[in-house]
Amino acid sequence: MPASDSLILFEGVAARIGVATILRDVDLVVVPGESVGLFGANGAGKTTLLRVIATLLRPSGGSARVLGVDLASQDRFDIRPRIGLIGHKPALYPELSLLSNLEFSARIAGLDLRLARKALDQVGLAQAATRLVGESSYGMQRRVEFAREIMLDPDLLLLDEPHSALDPSAIELVEHIVAGVLERGGAVVLASHDVEKVAPMVTRTAELAGGTVA
Amino acid sequence: MSDRFWQQAFAVARRDLDRERRAGEVTWVMIPFGAIALLLVPLAIGINQDVLSRIGTGMLFVVVLLFGVLTAVRRTSIETPEQRDLIALLGIDPAAEFTGKTMASAFLLLVFQIAMGAVALVLYGLDISGWAWMIVVMPLTAVGLAELGTVSASVAASTNAGPALVPLLVTPLAIPLLLAATQTVESVDREGGNLTWPVLMAVVVLVLAIVGVATARPLQETR
Amino acid sequence: MSDATRTRIGALDIVATVSVVFALVFAIASPRIESQGEAARLLFVHVPTIWLAYLAFAVTFVASILYLATRRLRWDHVAGASAEIGVVFTTVAIIGGMVWGKATWNVYWTWDARLTLTAIMLFVYIGYLALRRVIAEPEARARRSAVLGIVGLVQLIPVHFSVTWWRTLHQTNTFRPRDIQMDGPILAALLVSVAAFTVVYAALLRHRVRLEGLELAAYAAAAAPVGPVAGDAVSAPNIGNSGAQP
Repeated sequence: MPASDSLILFEGVAARIGVATILRDVDLVVVPGESVGLFGANGAGKTTLLRVIATLLRPSGGSARVLGVDLASQDRFDIRPRIGLIGHKPALYPELSLLSNLEFSARIAGLDLRLARKALDQVGLAQAATRLVGESSYGMQRRVEFAREIMLDPDLLLLDEPHSALDPSAIELVEHIVAGVLERGGAVVLASHDVEKVAPMVTRTAELAGGTVA
Repeated sequence: MSDRFWQQAFAVARRDLDRERRAGEVTWVMIPFGAIALLLVPLAIGINQDVLSRIGTGMLFVVVLLFGVLTAVRRTSIETPEQRDLIALLGIDPAAEFTGKTMASAFLLLVFQIAMGAVALVLYGLDISGWAWMIVVMPLTAVGLAELGTVSASVAASTNAGPALVPLLVTPLAIPLLLAATQTVESVDREGGNLTWPVLMAVVVLVLAIVGVATARPLQETR
Repeated sequence: MSDATRTRIGALDIVATVSVVFALVFAIASPRIESQGEAARLLFVHVPTIWLAYLAFAVTFVASILYLATRRLRWDHVAGASAEIGVVFTTVAIIGGMVWGKATWNVYWTWDARLTLTAIMLFVYIGYLALRRVIAEPEARARRSAVLGIVGLVQLIPVHFSVTWWRTLHQTNTFRPRDIQMDGPILAALLVSVAAFTVVYAALLRHRVRLEGLELAAYAAAAAPVGPVAGDAVSAPNIGNSGAQP
């Protein structure tokens, strides 16, 4: 495959948090339409790798390109709106309602506010729109995060342990979102320790061990 | 500054004020706490009306400075690492984020100052001949203090000592605001108003805005 | 003690020691200032300490800018080390000023604009050092303290003007070193003293920067003790039942 088409192109990437080396010599190529399942034990560096891909942690070595941009350059700030990340802790404001949280994201991203309500409806939370996040269950909060990614429609979607605290209908929802991103020519990277659960969502797998992709 | 910049700045300010509206930290904690501080002064130094009306304006701004610093470390202005990641990925301009946070804090500080001013007026029987200047002094104090608070809070963000450290960082740097605010209001008695101090405040506000915008990017990098 | 951690006495340290002795001799040998008494000899400590405080904080400011521009931790070490030395000398300057004030006007604190300013400056950099203590991660600490190092010094300019104007409105006995007749021997002794203190600053800075480097190495050693990557710290559970190797 031509390298210029890949959404993620990592060659020998290393990453540190402080002085601790978390990743070393990571090679990873992800092309449009691909959904890669990233497996590894606790502490293998899955979350760190996702944060590097998301431009939130600068690589300390190697060559890293995401969406055609070198992560060592200042251009990395420009691709951020095209990347979606759902971590294991919800990035929501507990004092705001479910809808207000989405509307905040929409305002920052410069989107039509009506998209927020529409996305909330799509994840089945239209009835709970005015409820405060702080008074909602963890499962509901995760659904709000999915609604956010539906609304933002990223080219590259990164999911960290997407299955925690989800009921079957919510898992179906994640699968729907993943399929949507792939259909539009995007790519998905999802980190998990459970190979079987994510199997329906991935086109191939990669294992992270000893700080590198095996 | 583009439309996008201001759209993001207003979104951040609105988020902060919405969060504060639910939590009510300024209304239910800071304002009563500041009012008690103003009440403590006569208890400590004695109830001499002359003395109180002479030191009243100064005490007002000491309380505004020392307790106003708390707006920068109010619980609803603190963000979790996940919230910071999200806002970075949404493509926010760090300078717009600084501006938005400062606008929200400045609004809260203005409310706080008006409340403290009313309490001081009642408790100390202040001479209000110079208070027309408050229309200039209070907003400038609010913006200057908000700028210092926003920068200091970002600098100390997600450290264990953050809430304790921010007042130490802000207070010495806010001294020009304190001096200018009290001198402006009091100089009316002596010389019928003196523009030097408000101009100094305006310069401070402007310089801090430039520094805050210039350092916003390195402070946003989470690691 | 390994070779890397051993303190090396450099030429700079010897020059610093010699020049301080030299400055001391000049200070004692300089003529008595009639209007001020023997306490005026504090001039030879007071002026250099104030000068060093300003020099040290200016170095912190410049090193902070250089860190943000280059992202080399060396500049952060210079900034932190210089601020630390600056705080020490500012404290000495304030204490010296108070002793002098007591000898001259029988009060420790005069609300003199310079004294007040120096005290405010001390608190700004105590805050700076406190911030450095609470952030463990070297790069985050460097970035954030660099911002504070810049904001702090920039804001000290209006602090300076405001305090000076405030004092001119309430003029009382202001003491300025330049009120002393600076004739030949006194001026010479003062210049020698300023030069000597500056060499001491350079020597202290060199040692402190080296120490910062050692602290970083120690931090690195503590943070990554197990293997090439941090994840190596997690091994298979050792609970004695399944096939997991102990």
